[in-house]
Amino acid sequence: MNSHSHDGFDLKTGLNPGSGSSEAETTLRVIAGLPAPEGLEQRVNASLRHAPRSTSVLHWPAGQRSSWMQNTWARTAAAAAIVFVVAGGGWEVYSRVQPAQPSSAIALPPVATHRGFSSANAMRTPRTLNGTVLTHPLPDTAAEKRPTDRAKKPLKKTAAKPVAP
Amino acid sequence: MEIAPSAVEDEARQQVEEEALEALVGQYASTLYRVAFSILRNPSDAEDAVQEAFLRVLRHRDTLGEIRDHRVWLIRIVWNIVLDRKRRAKTRPETDDVAELARVLPAEGLSAEQRAAAAQHHAHVLSCVDRLPTKEREVMVLSAFEELTSVEIASVLGITESSVRSRLFRARNLMASLLQHSRSLR
Repeated sequence: MNSHSHDGFDLKTGLNPGSGSSEAETTLRVIAGLPAPEGLEQRVNASLRHAPRSTSVLHWPAGQRSSWMQNTWARTAAAAAIVFVVAGGGWEVYSRVQPAQPSSAIALPPVATHRGFSSANAMRTPRTLNGTVLTHPLPDTAAEKRPTDRAKKPLKKTAAKPVAP
Repeated sequence: MEIAPSAVEDEARQQVEEEALEALVGQYASTLYRVAFSILRNPSDAEDAVQEAFLRVLRHRDTLGEIRDHRVWLIRIVWNIVLDRKRRAKTRPETDDVAELARVLPAEGLSAEQRAAAAQHHAHVLSCVDRLPTKEREVMVLSAFEELTSVEIASVLGITESSVRSRLFRARNLMASLLQHSRSLR
């Protein structure tokens, strides 16, 4: 076991390492000195050959270099047409959209801080529905019901008051 | 259709770049593999890292002419890839490291028992290395590469040379105490 810890090696920095550190460096040197596997270069080259190339600028075909796009007036006309289409589209959208109407809300004065309910200084109260209008008076059903209700109720037991002599 | 002179130039330039890249692969693939393996400790992961490094070079091949030191530049690329992979990968049990080390370590003149003991020892030392703080560990791992000077290590890590030296000093001291502590526990 110890044979691995005293392999000769020169220190690059001239520092004096302990025995533990020299063991570590020996191990690391063994690992660092391991040979690369056979055919590594060939495999790397093969992978590079099959790798997709990075983006490159595509050249316009040489035969079409003197085509209409090379003319200055045609380019100007095309640019003007694009500007016209974009501006026209923008104007159409702008003309269709109506500007927003100013709001008709009434600004209410600040609410006074009273206890309980208040009208909150409302300037305008909402309309409420009118009640049902009766064409003829209803019989007083409440008055008729009252004795029966009383009859149904259990009688309150009250102690008999002593009669004064 | 007439072939444009620029297309011919592009093709020639691409050919030159491919040849330059192949030369880089031939020259540095082995070094990059060893750097990757020293961190990942898995042959297939290390090879993947090397391939990824060269794919990155392929993507930025236009800048190859501007690089002063290709070796340090490539090591820096693979180093970043490896650290990124290591960060993302789940920690493997130590037994896997031992088995892998027993498989890959040189075993001339060693019996099976000696080989297993050596692998066990190296795995134990590596587990102590893993317990070092990141900065110290990185310097210690890179210092094990004979071909890297402390200036080059500083360049790979993006620090000064004096920082490399001080970190290495701290790493050695920590390593000594870690191994001593683990021995006293046994």
